[in-house]
Amino acid sequence: MVVRPYDQELKYIEKINSHSYRIKVGFQPNMKVEGIFYVNNHLEKLMFDELRNACRPGQMGGFLPGVKQIANVAALPGIVGRSVGLPDIHSGYGFAIGNMAAFDINDPTSIVSPGGVGFDINCGVRLLRTNLFEKDVQPVKEQIAQSLFDHIPVGVGSKGIIPMNAKDLEEALEMGMDWSLREGYVWAEDKEHCEEYGRMLNADPSKVSMRAKKRGLPQLGTLGAGNHYAEIQVVDEIYDKFAASKMGIEETGQVCVMIHSGSRGFGHQVATDALVQMEKAMKRDKIETNDRQLACARINSTEGQDYLKAMAAAANFAWVNRSSMTFLSRQAFAKQFKTTPDDLDMHVIYDVSHNVAKVEEHMVNGKQKTLLVHRKGATRAFPPHHPLIPVDYQLTGQPVLVGGTMGTCSYVLTGTEQGMNETFGSTCHGAGRALSRAKSRRNLDYLDVLERMKTLGIAIRVASPKLVMEEAPESYKNVTDVVDTCHAAGISKKCMKLRPIAVIKG
Amino acid sequence: MSLFFAGVRFDKTNNSLRKLKVNLLNSPRMEVDFTEDSVKFPEQKFEYLDHTADVQLHAWGSTLKEAFEQCGMAMFGYMTSLEYVQIKYCYQIEATGDDLESLLFHFLDELLFLFSCEPFLICSSLDITKFDLENFKIECKCYGEPFEIGKHPQGTEVKAITYSAMQIVQKPEGNKCEVFVIIDI
Repeated sequence: MVVRPYDQELKYIEKINSHSYRIKVGFQPNMKVEGIFYVNNHLEKLMFDELRNACRPGQMGGFLPGVKQIANVAALPGIVGRSVGLPDIHSGYGFAIGNMAAFDINDPTSIVSPGGVGFDINCGVRLLRTNLFEKDVQPVKEQIAQSLFDHIPVGVGSKGIIPMNAKDLEEALEMGMDWSLREGYVWAEDKEHCEEYGRMLNADPSKVSMRAKKRGLPQLGTLGAGNHYAEIQVVDEIYDKFAASKMGIEETGQVCVMIHSGSRGFGHQVATDALVQMEKAMKRDKIETNDRQLACARINSTEGQDYLKAMAAAANFAWVNRSSMTFLSRQAFAKQFKTTPDDLDMHVIYDVSHNVAKVEEHMVNGKQKTLLVHRKGATRAFPPHHPLIPVDYQLTGQPVLVGGTMGTCSYVLTGTEQGMNETFGSTCHGAGRALSRAKSRRNLDYLDVLERMKTLGIAIRVASPKLVMEEAPESYKNVTDVVDTCHAAGISKKCMKLRPIAVIKG
Repeated sequence: MSLFFAGVRFDKTNNSLRKLKVNLLNSPRMEVDFTEDSVKFPEQKFEYLDHTADVQLHAWGSTLKEAFEQCGMAMFGYMTSLEYVQIKYCYQIEATGDDLESLLFHFLDELLFLFSCEPFLICSSLDITKFDLENFKIECKCYGEPFEIGKHPQGTEVKAITYSAMQIVQKPEGNKCEVFVIIDI
């Protein structure tokens, strides 16, 4: 890492307009393209503070500041356009979380990097709607929260309750949501409202280690811990009535269920295995990067292809996982209201992936190119009329689900043409951490956090109450700032705001 | 490769030893015989340091071996409160690496794997019985019991071990060794 005094570092960062900054070539060595990051007044302070801290002499930290990480990604072979930092960016392993970068598949030197996807492959958010209103749910809020908590296995060490053996797992890895459909856990229409129709076709379970499969098998259909959650939410504000009605949301007060989870231990192990393999490939192919954590391999190398196939299997695992929890949520609601999920109109509004690499077609300098788009802590946000979004959303643009933090609101956005041009159709994914976990644990008291949830009228069920302060809103950036920045920058458009009334966490 | 070992389980209630068969599928680990006297409970020599999204484990000891053991305990300590863990089983694991860093990485990865699937072992004592720094090989006895919701408080899940900012410090004169590892959670 190049270490200059803070004021000299700033010479490489230039304000483009009120909500974006350019990172010039030269900020880090070998930058092939520029970097850009989107922030508003509140968020830029966090970005620059992080950089200032890293410039202090004798600073020994685990991760580089987000801006440095964006610049290091801009130095990777085969990158096109710009290395993009979204408003919720914070430093992560290799790539920052909230960083997207696209690589030209037809350039033989282009790379794929597991660090650009993250450990939790295809971590994502799914939103289900209901035809219930707040007044129907408020009186039974505690019961339904308890019921969801009883139905969905949560927290460290929990095991899935969907019957699975090794053979089922192989099939699920290959088929994704087609497996869930065949086994009767989801509805055919659910698939329509998922990225890739809930199945990555290039998945190859034979490229996945036995270790990953063993870790994955007991965890299928579990929520996990950390920032994963299931929430019952109420539509609080509608900004785009037409888009909301296309999603089956007619007015404020309507009740939805949001599920945030990923590929569990399966994906974590796939990523770990790939990082070990890629260290070797980098030495062999003499790939130079600015940071050892940016382990990568050429897309066309054996390691690169094997990773993409294993990653696709992990993506399928995540969809089956979220589908299993969709099934369990529908059951919990149906039992509580003594009716069927059908009669409750519990359709999937959409399911987004925010940790994945995908092959997509984009325009680069006026030419159509096939790119491998890495999105880590970033959500795909395709504009209206894009061929890869479902018929229902052709006129509105793809729904983008932005999960808030425990007790704060969540948002639904839609993709825009400007986002397609500026950020390869990508936008923010959530709030993004601001405080470290250890600091949250020291500064906050879990009883206060739980008490505040109660004051806000939120029913809460957590597997590890003593860790709720790590996920308290104070530990995160303000999700409203994040979403407003994306809206103001035009890379996505606000559609509606949701407020939680019950939270289930690991 | 499929091997069968005759493992022995120590039953606390009646002090009798029951024979068990353990199937080892591609995994360098097995259940082993132990007596209560062989379990050590050294004082805690680890702490959790600040990190934006993750957690940094900091463990130390008078030898590198001790620092490694403590680092493993630190990881288990993040998943549950160790005082709730009873020692009912002992598993032996093996880890190998190319250098010191990768040895520590693979040692922790083996422990995480021991917890993540059969036997779902949460450990409250670790005893490295072989610490070979020429061939970078570790054999470790792991004492604990299968994780059980209701009995063991749920902490945070560890997704993966990382090499990021990994530091292994040996100061032979001060008789102190330290390790720093960031775990992804």
